[in-house]
Amino acid sequence: MIESPLVPIADTEKPRKKKRRPWTFDRISFVLVFLVLPLAIFSVFVVWPFVQAFWYSLTDWSGFTPDMNFIGLENYQKLLDDDIFMTSLRNNVYLAIVVPFVTVVLAFALATMITVGGSSYGATRGLRGSSFYRVISFFPYTIPAIVIGLIWLQMFDPSNGLLNGVLTGIGLDGFASYPWLGDARTAMPASMFVIIWGFVGFYMVLFVAAIKSVPGELYDAARIDGAGRLRTALSVTLPLIRDNVQTAYIYLGILALDAFVYMAALNPGGGPENSTLVMPQRLLLTAFEKGQFGLASAMGVVMAIATLVFAALVFTVNRLAGGRQEGVRR
Amino acid sequence: MSIEKKTVDRRTLLRGALAAAAVLPLSSALAACAGSSNDSDNDSSTKGGKKSEDNPFGMAADSTTDAVIFDGGYGTDYVAFAATIMQKNHKGSTVKVSPTTEISQELQPRFVAGDPPDLIDNSGENSIGFATILDQVEDLSDVLDAENLEGTKIRDTLYEGIEAPGTFDGKFAALNYVMTVYAVWYSSSLFEKNGWTPPKTWDEAIALGAEAKKAGKYLFLWGKEAATYYQTMAIGSAIKQGGDEVRLALENLEANCWSKPAVQAVFEAMGTIVDRGYMKPGGAGTQFTAAQAQWSNNQDALLYPSGSWIENEMKDQTKAGFDMKGFPEMVVDDSSAMPWEALHAAAGEPFQVPSKGKNVPGGKELLRTMLSKEAATNFAKTKLAPTIVKDTVPADGFGSTALVSQTDMLKAAGPNVFTWTFVDLYGTNVDQLVVWNSFLAGKSSVKELTSRLQDITDKVREDDSIKKIPVT
Repeated sequence: MIESPLVPIADTEKPRKKKRRPWTFDRISFVLVFLVLPLAIFSVFVVWPFVQAFWYSLTDWSGFTPDMNFIGLENYQKLLDDDIFMTSLRNNVYLAIVVPFVTVVLAFALATMITVGGSSYGATRGLRGSSFYRVISFFPYTIPAIVIGLIWLQMFDPSNGLLNGVLTGIGLDGFASYPWLGDARTAMPASMFVIIWGFVGFYMVLFVAAIKSVPGELYDAARIDGAGRLRTALSVTLPLIRDNVQTAYIYLGILALDAFVYMAALNPGGGPENSTLVMPQRLLLTAFEKGQFGLASAMGVVMAIATLVFAALVFTVNRLAGGRQEGVRR
Repeated sequence: MSIEKKTVDRRTLLRGALAAAAVLPLSSALAACAGSSNDSDNDSSTKGGKKSEDNPFGMAADSTTDAVIFDGGYGTDYVAFAATIMQKNHKGSTVKVSPTTEISQELQPRFVAGDPPDLIDNSGENSIGFATILDQVEDLSDVLDAENLEGTKIRDTLYEGIEAPGTFDGKFAALNYVMTVYAVWYSSSLFEKNGWTPPKTWDEAIALGAEAKKAGKYLFLWGKEAATYYQTMAIGSAIKQGGDEVRLALENLEANCWSKPAVQAVFEAMGTIVDRGYMKPGGAGTQFTAAQAQWSNNQDALLYPSGSWIENEMKDQTKAGFDMKGFPEMVVDDSSAMPWEALHAAAGEPFQVPSKGKNVPGGKELLRTMLSKEAATNFAKTKLAPTIVKDTVPADGFGSTALVSQTDMLKAAGPNVFTWTFVDLYGTNVDQLVVWNSFLAGKSSVKELTSRLQDITDKVREDDSIKKIPVT
């Protein structure tokens, strides 16, 4: 424990009671700059809007008048009865299940290949040309999300898109004019693919950095013990970069519970049978087009709760899985 | 020991960061919407200048008029044009024309704060729902009763029925400036070359579909954001077939309104077109302007139902010599309640004057100026679309076949001009798009189409928090 420099070392045996230390200029300015100011900014820009949104969610505010009526939890009741909003909530949950999992698994697999998956002779190293792969797989992350959405919108175009062009070119004529984003069966997987495509490279680089901090001797030892590549990845690499995986998982989850930019670019109307509709799209429509800010605020609160629940779930799972191992180590 | 401690610290920190991250999307979405208790009545709107013949609304001298205009397909320069005329007529006054593409997002805080602009063009994807601000805008009947700059009463210079789309609950709350004709559009040169004629009934349309197929083309195509153009065509056709009874049933959200025989006959005919493969496949996954280009540039399909903005919208992507023309929607058979020539036409681009604006007379004066012959002719000439002011389009239509065809259709329809507002009024288009995309793609039957549209209607009717506006 590091002693705080501001706490003078007790010079008397008696515990001091209510004796205030003098408010020197140093102390006041320190408190102001490092405590009051950030707290004020946090309250005004984070806590207050949150409280305000929650309050609005209990009213029938239209968004265009100064007055509103308190209606209790009616908005939440209405959301539960609104099948389209529930569809959008389900879609977000679906995204939060699939996107983080697939992205993390892919990113982890690629990171392993690049760092420790190389030749089994000599020092532990990645595949040949790994730095090249690392650079190109990072490319998608440098493109803004909206641009990614628009690029893939063109790729998926039924008549002139590159994807159907290639598929029909290799003889799969069934894909002529096939609407990837316009068929309820494929719209969601296609949209998920776009999000995953955009993020695998970034999380791969993150995992590469984490794996580099793992001492090489551990891999050497595992190899001497006869562990194969898969075993090494699962039993050595994964436990050692557990925290990075958890962080990646949660950030991807938050992204998947939003996913607004991608979905708005790929299918602004929510897709066939609302199969790609996500909560923020519905929120925006309810607030600004339908003029029901109270209801829209309730949607926002539901989104925040969903995100917190997701984070809590990931922490719990990690603790349950990790707690056992810590016990083993002790 | 120390390692464990570190882990805990990092986790706590992470947890805090995550909580903040979870809250952020919420706060950023609503930070801009802080409600304000500023309810001070703006009494400046009541004070004004003296009313006179040149100043019928009593705009104060040297005042400023603040106009926020939707910057869409028509741009904002036509308002700026009128503003220049107005500044010339009222020396010392200034008009500020601000373009925006997001009317709702930009004006919402100003409405809450009681400081809205003096004139708004409440149009586009992000427009404010009419019912939402109905009691916060002026009744614009006095603008119609005023004289225009040429000295004729404005009401007498306009097309019939232009008040209908802007009238809610008996209040003329929005003046729609641009005349929009909803029709089925085609390439007259292509039709002439192949000896085809525009179909007047659905049976003729289906026969034309067979012809198109022979020529390796489709009858219709659609884009995913514009699937409800087919709903617009279907409703128009059903109203012509079944008469006002159908229109009122739909407008007043009646139970089983989509099951009326006229509506069903139209849906059945469209179902046949879908089943026989006369719709170009893949529309549910095609961006709508890309789909429209397949019609106007590649000529993959013969017909496209749309509003008269289509010519302007596709100007750069229309094949040379396309010679776009339009015709009124098909009817089911000869027994239709209205003639085939009856036209779904409505004024669009709703201009509204908020009551709490600082210079309400200024807003109305700017509207009056826009309705002058000079400003209206300028609009028709530069945008190739007629305004609600009659006789501003010369016989050559400034070189546009579509514009001439619009004026011809309006003339042929005479008093048989109709429109409806329930889709826009209750904002159901987004939900209906989903249903229509499925139907046009052949994924759902006429029965499913009917029941799902009825569900959307019923949901609005049964929601007490949505203000209903009865139509008679």
